[in-house]
Amino acid sequence: MEESSEKQRANEMSQGPELRQKIKEVMVEELMLDQEPSTIGDATPIFGAGGLGLDSVDALQLVVALDKHFALKIGNSDAAKGILESVDTIAREIEKVA
Amino acid sequence: MIIHGGALHQGVQPLTGGGANRDTHGVRSILITGGNGGLGRGIGRYFLEKDLDCRVWLGVRSNRQDAEALAAEFPERCSLLDLDVTNARAWEAAVATIVEADGRLDVLVNNAGMHRDHLLAAMPTESWHEVISSNLDSVFHGCRAVVTSMMRQRFGRIVNIASLSAILPPMGQTNYAAAKAGVVAFSRTMAKEVARAGITVNCILPGYIETEALSGMDEEAKKAARQGVPMRRFGRPEEVASAVFFLACHEAGYVTGSALKIDGGIF
Repeated sequence: MEESSEKQRANEMSQGPELRQKIKEVMVEELMLDQEPSTIGDATPIFGAGGLGLDSVDALQLVVALDKHFALKIGNSDAAKGILESVDTIAREIEKVA
Repeated sequence: MIIHGGALHQGVQPLTGGGANRDTHGVRSILITGGNGGLGRGIGRYFLEKDLDCRVWLGVRSNRQDAEALAAEFPERCSLLDLDVTNARAWEAAVATIVEADGRLDVLVNNAGMHRDHLLAAMPTESWHEVISSNLDSVFHGCRAVVTSMMRQRFGRIVNIASLSAILPPMGQTNYAAAKAGVVAFSRTMAKEVARAGITVNCILPGYIETEALSGMDEEAKKAARQGVPMRRFGRPEEVASAVFFLACHEAGYVTGSALKIDGGIF
């Protein structure tokens, strides 16, 4: 059991960077961002000044895109606030429900 | 609940690809409410005749005989859908039915509506609510029901049938004019919210169109109305349908938030 958990954790570790890269690609494509995925930092704030500067319309689009590409369902706006902080927080949520 | 239609989903393939500029050529799935009325049928027929790859769903309620006749002409491509447009749950069920069958929903034409004309002083409260509900609430419920599917597709075309009464209201239509003006404002607001998702939202403002909507007018009233139209004639349903068809097409992808009058030149 413990070995299995370790294996799973190892898989997640190896998938982590790939997952984050995929999230960035989805964001650029679905939100029509005028930048390369690689220029988005894992911890860059998605909303507000100093980050990607996305707005509430982008947030809605991102919620739909995360469901479409990662089957991540975000039920309400309170949950969305925590999950959509950065690529890292999105990735952790996807990994949690995977 | 699908009321009419045979093995109509065979061969219907969901479109693939993404992006705001995606090519939508291929099978298009189209929902038209008020499918039993003259305008709804006219729009449906226009799509069925001009786009051989489209699938048309006609939303109907208790009156469905004329819509059934149209569906019988195109048994592989036209179906009736039981839809109370004032009911949010009915909308969710209808959209789920279409998406399950066609894999997508490309075009929504909010055409259902009705009027109950009274001078304001004599207008029963229920007439106000009934008209607002059928003309404006219905658009809200319909657009909300389809928006997530269209956002997932990164493509959608919504055409809301308002009325010339929205901008040139006659006496006796405080309820109807308010509802239709609301549809115009609603459409413009929604157009901004979903523009980035590849969804367009436009309105059409028909003037006098030769449908059962004019049946309440006697010949004298019709004659007087025609005199007020610079073209001296009423419009035909296909003249509205052709505009709907354009607004729903791929090439109209940069047209959104517009309100198009089709009225023979009244202003």
